[in-house]
Amino acid sequence: MRSDDIAISARNVTKTYRLFGHPNDRIKQFFALGLRRYHREFTALQGVSFDIGRGETIGIVGRNGSGKSTLLQLISGILKPTSGSVTANGRVSALLELGAGFNPEFTGRENVYFQGAIMGLSKAEMEPRFDAIATFADIGEFIDQPVRTYSSGMFVRLAFSVAVHVEPDILLIDEVLAVGDAIFQQKCFDRIYQLQSRGVSIIVVSHNPYQIERLCHRAAVMRKGSLSPLRPARETLSLYRELVHQDMAPVPITAMEHRDGTHDLHFEQVFIEGASDTADGSYRTNASLRIVADMRAEYPLDNVRIRFELCSATELIAMISTIGLTEEKCFHGRHRIAFNMPRCQLTTGRYHINAVAVGKNIRLDTWQRAAEFSVLLKDETALNLSGDNGIYVCQGDWEIA
Amino acid sequence: MRLEVLNPYPAVASLIHHRYLLGQLIKRDVLLRYRGAMFGVLWIFLSPLLMLAIFAFVFGHIFQARWPEQREGLPFWLMLYCGLIVFNIFGETVSRATTSVRSFPSYVKKIIFPLDILPLVPLGSALVHAFFNFLILFAAAAWTGNLSPGILLFPLLLLPVVLLGVGAAWFLAAWGVFIKDLTQVVPLLVQMLMFLSPVFYPANAVPEALRPIYNVNPLGSVIEAVRSTVVGTSVPWLAWAASLALGTLVATLGHAFFQHSRDEFADAL
Repeated sequence: MRSDDIAISARNVTKTYRLFGHPNDRIKQFFALGLRRYHREFTALQGVSFDIGRGETIGIVGRNGSGKSTLLQLISGILKPTSGSVTANGRVSALLELGAGFNPEFTGRENVYFQGAIMGLSKAEMEPRFDAIATFADIGEFIDQPVRTYSSGMFVRLAFSVAVHVEPDILLIDEVLAVGDAIFQQKCFDRIYQLQSRGVSIIVVSHNPYQIERLCHRAAVMRKGSLSPLRPARETLSLYRELVHQDMAPVPITAMEHRDGTHDLHFEQVFIEGASDTADGSYRTNASLRIVADMRAEYPLDNVRIRFELCSATELIAMISTIGLTEEKCFHGRHRIAFNMPRCQLTTGRYHINAVAVGKNIRLDTWQRAAEFSVLLKDETALNLSGDNGIYVCQGDWEIA
Repeated sequence: MRLEVLNPYPAVASLIHHRYLLGQLIKRDVLLRYRGAMFGVLWIFLSPLLMLAIFAFVFGHIFQARWPEQREGLPFWLMLYCGLIVFNIFGETVSRATTSVRSFPSYVKKIIFPLDILPLVPLGSALVHAFFNFLILFAAAAWTGNLSPGILLFPLLLLPVVLLGVGAAWFLAAWGVFIKDLTQVVPLLVQMLMFLSPVFYPANAVPEALRPIYNVNPLGSVIEAVRSTVVGTSVPWLAWAASLALGTLVATLGHAFFQHSRDEFADAL
């Protein structure tokens, strides 16, 4: 890339926050002249480098707290890097937070002009743009009402409208597109396409892979303060999905288990058996899986029904399997029961098991979130499938005529 | 710090570049104070007028106070009012400066904003009020038959106060972000400073021995100068010029300090 084609350039940017236990420690630190430390350090960004060309749109994905917003704040000059450098060539318009800088006591019209003033446009320069801003925001007569009376949708529409109509060279959008309704989002997309064709450089931070894929030429994943190399959006998104999957393990869902029932018959333990060959112990789609439960009955019990429910992380029950025990076969003492799944037909994600045992009109033991496991769809037969849609991989035959 | 902080140009350039925004901020600041009040912006006139009426009643009729060594001319309460206008520009600016940045965390953290003009907002708003005070002074001087042509120099003579005020405001606004206590301390100091400035008495009423220390206060010479023009006596230009020079220095250093510490604002708020 030629140097005058570069809109934003970051070189080895590191941002470290000093965390003070008490506000006064900051003052002590000032007078300590570096002889003593009254703070801990937190590195929000670590050695981030990239170049973004004119007219290029970049997407940044990453989990909360991974440093995405810090990066945007550094580009916009709100924060200064602890080391390294960021240069942005041209007027930067940043939508980091909805209507930050809007004064709720003043009308939409007043705020539009004020926002313009903040970006360095005089009233005379804003006047020809005003109608376009108002039309785009589409808030009707509310434009002359105090902003505090606005709904959050109207708020974001007006804020976004101003930000894209001040003719920025660089536009930074942090997770604000999510607020408007579908029609407004479509309008935003159209406007962003327009800006793209005019050579505006755009950085979009979003959790919505669909938006990133539609808007961005290249994308990168931010993870614990480090930025992955900029790659085509589609590649980055699948990398991101895998990372999310890896990172998900730390909070065990069984910590949120819930039990009730008479416990005359109860589950002593529930677990998953199966061959796991991935590094993080998750099961492959289409591998065989076995749900096992050790049970104990305090006295002979018949007419027992036992059910395993397999739930996705969103509490959707993906599968149930029930067995009813007749009078001949009664439970007494310890038993081990198991349900065999020859092929685990689940897609990538985390799942948990609810185990339920009921007697005649009586709940013996319901154990929610008794066990958990994760599945990784990375099988030769499903190599090109994206893993984040659906929860069930259907078995069947394709016919191609 | 390096020597280039003594270059006043960046402060002036920023000011010129953002003059429209600054104007808007000051307008908002003034309007917001009176928004919702029944008399609205009329209070900008009413409150100094009421204050002056009370001064006239208490000092003119009850105390029958006289300015030392003054036989005729401007009544005591107008002499006092004169000094008060000048001092209040500084006092109001400085008292409000401590919160001028801290009360807008979203300007610091969420949007691209020229923060260095924020401490100028209290100054601008103080100057707006001073303008109306001046009109009242002008009318009152004319009404009591003491109008001297020198009164037209009044606004020009304020320059050192403006510079001192804005310089102090930049320092205090930056410190105010980190030290909340300033909001309590500064108004007290301002009140003390008022009694240590020749507002209620002329500087030559101060005992000769204390004069060298007393004259360190740069506001003193400005208040004296302004009062001289209004009364029509000779202006102590040399002392005034010294204040002007000091004001320029304070303003330049203040801006440099503010810009130097602004990188930490976002972390502290």
